[in-house]
Amino acid sequence: MKSFLNIITYDYLQRTRSYGFLISLCISLAIGYSFVPEPNANYSTIRIGEYLGVYNSAWFGYVTAIMTSVFLSLIGFYLVNSSIRTDVETRVGQIMAATPIKNSTYLLSKTLSNFLVLLTIAFLVFMMSILLFFLYHDARFSLEIGQFIKPYLLITIPSIFVISALAVLSEVICGRFSILQNVGFFFLFSALMVNSSPSNDSNNMLDVFGSKIVLNQMIAMVNEHNGKVEKRDLSIGYVVGSNSALKKFEFNGVDFPPLLIISRLLWVLLSLLLVIGIAPFFHRFDFRRPFKLKKTSDEAISQGNSGHISLLSLPAPQIDYGVAKLLKTEMLLLIRHGKKWMWILNVIGMTFLAFLPIEPAHQIVLPILWFLQVGRLSELTSKEHANGVHYFSFSSYRPLTRLLLSQILAASLLMLLLATPLIIRYAIDGSFIAISSIFLGGLGIVLFAAVLGILSKGKKLFEILFFMISYANINNIPFLDYFGAINHDTAYILKMILIVISLGIVGFMLRNYQLQK
Amino acid sequence: MKLEIQNVSKRYSKEKYGLQDFSLTLEKGILGLLGPNGAGKSTLLKMIATVTKPTDGMLLLNKNNIVKDPNYMRKQLGFLPQDFGVYPNLNAVEFLSYMAAMKGIGGTTLKPRILQLLDGLNLIDAAYKPIGTYSGGMKQRIGIAQALLNQPKIVIFDEPTVGLDPEERVRFRNLISDLANESIVILSSHIVSDIDTIADKIVIMKHGKLLKTGNPETIIKQIEGKVYETTIIKEKLPEFRKANLVVSTARKDGKLLIRYIADQPIASSVNCTPNLEDAYLYQTKTA
Repeated sequence: MKSFLNIITYDYLQRTRSYGFLISLCISLAIGYSFVPEPNANYSTIRIGEYLGVYNSAWFGYVTAIMTSVFLSLIGFYLVNSSIRTDVETRVGQIMAATPIKNSTYLLSKTLSNFLVLLTIAFLVFMMSILLFFLYHDARFSLEIGQFIKPYLLITIPSIFVISALAVLSEVICGRFSILQNVGFFFLFSALMVNSSPSNDSNNMLDVFGSKIVLNQMIAMVNEHNGKVEKRDLSIGYVVGSNSALKKFEFNGVDFPPLLIISRLLWVLLSLLLVIGIAPFFHRFDFRRPFKLKKTSDEAISQGNSGHISLLSLPAPQIDYGVAKLLKTEMLLLIRHGKKWMWILNVIGMTFLAFLPIEPAHQIVLPILWFLQVGRLSELTSKEHANGVHYFSFSSYRPLTRLLLSQILAASLLMLLLATPLIIRYAIDGSFIAISSIFLGGLGIVLFAAVLGILSKGKKLFEILFFMISYANINNIPFLDYFGAINHDTAYILKMILIVISLGIVGFMLRNYQLQK
Repeated sequence: MKLEIQNVSKRYSKEKYGLQDFSLTLEKGILGLLGPNGAGKSTLLKMIATVTKPTDGMLLLNKNNIVKDPNYMRKQLGFLPQDFGVYPNLNAVEFLSYMAAMKGIGGTTLKPRILQLLDGLNLIDAAYKPIGTYSGGMKQRIGIAQALLNQPKIVIFDEPTVGLDPEERVRFRNLISDLANESIVILSSHIVSDIDTIADKIVIMKHGKLLKTGNPETIIKQIEGKVYETTIIKEKLPEFRKANLVVSTARKDGKLLIRYIADQPIASSVNCTPNLEDAYLYQTKTA
């Protein structure tokens, strides 16, 4: 038992002692800060029709717990879904495989370590919710700590435990193909969100996020406050509109029925059982090679040209400081990234772009198609470190103006290539604002990936943020519309040009700083 | 071709140095860099390769300050780092073409040059297989090939023989002997035998400082008359180690044959001809 706890502890420590995790904490705090808006803010996170809760302890506690449950499930998965892959990349897995540790113990330790990572973030958001209470609370209400602890305990913690286990399951099932995990979870999360909606008639106990019962209670309280039972629209997320114009109702928390409490425990238990159940199928770091070489190196030695090399007789190298060759190889690296059959999805996406009505093609298909490239983009400027090629890259001739430029150009070309059917349709319509938006969006997201890759030296940060942005795009949130699906005016184009130029400058400055160091 | 390293330091914190006040001048030929782990060899090599910058001091190549103008060095550099990776999805030809593009070389002669390098390094049969399928030794030879792509005038090999079998090691030594006719070759290794027969000059480092420099003969000469061999019983070894600097031990007729360095030999010892390994251990253990 002690060794099991040690594995969890040290795994947790090695994951949290990183620059990337620090950035994740900062982002989580920033997001947590926005969960309960300032009373006169121009947005809300949870509202029931035209109603918003008065700012008492229950509202702060439950709203932040639900938002943490949903958002941490969303971004948390991407944060923790590479714990086994890290052991593959660091080659620690090979050592682990040679120890007596059972597959189930190893996978459970990874699940619990994932959970601890997410719990750390949840705890910070919990502290932030108390701070927000002191900042914004209605003077009539005092702090009731139980109204904070109860929802986090029964809503947030079981949710993030399920996500921790799902991350391990997806790593075991999808192996090293992270794109499958990313895309698979995208659809699973969307399905879980639909199930969690109060408008869905499924049982509260089947709701992974645990928020449905609370939201139904909120609706019931609004109806009670209003004196009549109505079907009301409930919004979770960031809804633009002045809070001061909304009516207020008093929400006093939820008395969770014992069966629901048991169901929350059962979700945790089910997650553990799934992890144990999948253990026999765990690869235990024994990967089959894609194919065997026809000749081993030893055979090559005996049959080669006797291995004598005369450096003087080699053809003299010719100077070529252009970027065309670099661009070609960067393109090749992007195209060959991931499984070949993933290109079928790209082709399907491009076909939808060509034949679906232009509005959904632009609003829904394009962000999904571009999100499918998340693995490619996230490694754009971090692959040198990931593959140990950075010494070659950083000691190459003019790495900033040749290599980085070719990386950005190659990825931008790929994004535009995927969007070609839509661009052609807009060109036929003469809609040049839309074409410009797509160009700027493609370039902008590539530069965003480049900046985050350089900054974090990894791919996680971009993956998480790109997922959030794509999710927001599909839900038509105008603020994160980076490819002009909702905004169609010149002011938007100018704003995007400014963003693209700024990202470009930041990217080159960061890489320059990295090289100088 | 002249490389001057002038009072170079790499400081990580107030008290912690990776390299401290290091000076050396190099011209064509092979420099062998020896030192225990943490001696600062890789730090020095990375500075020369312009991958990292010194916190103090200057590095001049033909009087050009390469700290300020790293591209002057990069244009004529071949660098094999100690711990490097490859892009597993590319084959050897593609990877080397990519490396060539990074170095700013191309043209019609590039492909034949790559193929001949691969042929010479016995990788031609696997030239079009993804590098992800290569063995450790094959990857190491890809690393060597990329370092030679641009006809480098400065060649840095950090632990180049890791993963190479004995036959490949010999071939590698011949290769760098050829290189040294035209270039400055800097070779770092833990394995003294990789260096002693080919290096024109040796540098011994410890704790980020230069302990000794000179040609192998001069360094070896300093311990002439101090290397001995004797036979002792196994139980006496710990006590013997406390009193003498033991270079090696071997079993012989149920006893231990000890090679050691001392100013005054114990009774029944035989004086031996010193070698570079003896000199290296003497310098690093007594410093």
